[in-house]
Amino acid sequence: MKETPSPKKKRTVREPQWRQEGTEPDYRFSLANERTFLAWIRTALALLAGGVLLDQFSTKLGPHLVVVALAVVLGMLATALCGLAYVRWRANEVAMRHARKLPGTLAIPLISAVTLILSAVLVFLLMVQA
Amino acid sequence: MNPDAQARDPGLQPERTALAWSRTGLAMLVNALLALRTGWTSHQAPITVLGFVLLLASGAIIFYAAWRRRHLLHGQGPVAPSAHAIAAVAAATLLACAVELASVITG
Repeated sequence: MKETPSPKKKRTVREPQWRQEGTEPDYRFSLANERTFLAWIRTALALLAGGVLLDQFSTKLGPHLVVVALAVVLGMLATALCGLAYVRWRANEVAMRHARKLPGTLAIPLISAVTLILSAVLVFLLMVQA
Repeated sequence: MNPDAQARDPGLQPERTALAWSRTGLAMLVNALLALRTGWTSHQAPITVLGFVLLLASGAIIFYAAWRRRHLLHGQGPVAPSAHAIAAVAAATLLACAVELASVITG
């Protein structure tokens, strides 16, 4: 690819267009945004591991269909959080580059509501078993 | 970049960011091992293969953590993360979600 030489020439893969717009934010904010994204990813991975463990290791919990449903809901919640994590990281980057207010996220009410329901169902199952 | 800000924060922001990458890699490793176990014990070859893919992804994330640590602590000053790395991590996590859902539904 023939381009005019620039200090950014070192990068082999082009960054997306929105990365060239606005001004570079304070590096601490960029790193904080990066860590927030990674924290959401870890949250999704933890929920996912919970789903697998529930499905594979819950020998005394039943009925089986409800346990499978719980594991599926955990997987779907993790999928949604993963998507929202990327969307929010990108939206935060764009907002910071243009010195705008940071956008809110649907992830927090979503994870709260779904985790509450999952916990309630699990507690109910455990009480019925006991 | 504000030089005062750097003086007040010697190395800790980069350190925390590098550690966040390591933790994410380890969380992915747990999921890769769980997928491998699920595929192996239930004789589902596709799940096992995807477990290996997740294992590679976790290795890549931990490797990237080490690279980013070196880059942030000893490079020419801290930089924002690559958009491609962020997208790749999101994609790997989506794959892990798909593997979990597939193993739960078919298992």
